[in-house]
Amino acid sequence: MADEIRRWSEELAREPNSLVFLQLAEALRAQGQLAVALKIAQRGLDRHPGNSEARALVDRIASERGAEETAQQALAALAAASHMDSAAESAASRLFADLLLDDDQTALLLDESGYVLGGLYLDGDGVDVGQDVGAQLSGISEEIVRSTRHLGLGDWRSLTFETEAAVVAMSPTAQQGLVVVAASRSTPLGLLRRLLERCVERAANWLAGTSGDRKPRTSGSRRILP
Amino acid sequence: MMSGLRGIIDRLSRQRGVRASLIVSEHDGLVVDSSLRFGEGENGERVAALAASIYRKARLSADAAHLGAVSFLQLDSDRGRLCAVGRDDLVLVVVAEPSANVGLIRVELFKALETLA
Repeated sequence: MADEIRRWSEELAREPNSLVFLQLAEALRAQGQLAVALKIAQRGLDRHPGNSEARALVDRIASERGAEETAQQALAALAAASHMDSAAESAASRLFADLLLDDDQTALLLDESGYVLGGLYLDGDGVDVGQDVGAQLSGISEEIVRSTRHLGLGDWRSLTFETEAAVVAMSPTAQQGLVVVAASRSTPLGLLRRLLERCVERAANWLAGTSGDRKPRTSGSRRILP
Repeated sequence: MMSGLRGIIDRLSRQRGVRASLIVSEHDGLVVDSSLRFGEGENGERVAALAASIYRKARLSADAAHLGAVSFLQLDSDRGRLCAVGRDDLVLVVVAEPSANVGLIRVELFKALETLA
């Protein structure tokens, strides 16, 4: 094919009015060189405006080139959107990173349904288990509110629990969200609560700034616990 | 066993600032035994069910994070606290005033847990 293209190109150079442009343009089209093929076909059609075969060839190549450009534009848009999503997800996962004092601490922001909005919850192997934790905590705010209402305890401020490997604390946020922080068992409870307060404040600011264009995060990574 | 449970409830209820103490089944949220000062009957049963549910959610979230068993849970609110410890299916729940000494309540809850074992 390459030899034929070279031969037809030379022939067309010698005889610009030759109809060999049809074969040359068709061969270039078949090779996927649509821009060059269209240029040659269009130039041939200009020299032979009554040639229906040349017009059909121009139309076909132009159509294919348009589809290719459209596809390329769609791919570019998809890549850009994917890049923006990755950047947004990465930013969300780092929501509390600068507030954490060491690698034994982790913080997570959940929405009212238990979906992860920001931060990470890493287990001892460094695996983000935020989604699993969120799923298990789904609805806990509502039940706490009902409990405190029945007991006349007023608004709840925090829920803290100790486990074999860590201490975990959580507080409600605006828009019925939940901030969950965890730290190693050696972390003083007062320090954990201070960290929780700072994370709640960060979450409130972040929620206020991103309301409307945020969406639940589905993955992420950072190292922690126990 | 029932007299043992009553003894646990009585000891917890004697702590200063304790408004209620309950032993609850985590599985179904039913009251096993209780001493309530904020109301009787349905109210206590609702609180028991909700407390058991909160404790269960905490335990399951700890499982999800591979943090091991939950040993002590504390809910702080504007006008009081709820503390809980659990073993097997039983959860000991104490509702206390904001001024109550949580440290002492915590100690008593763990002692009570030993009694249950």
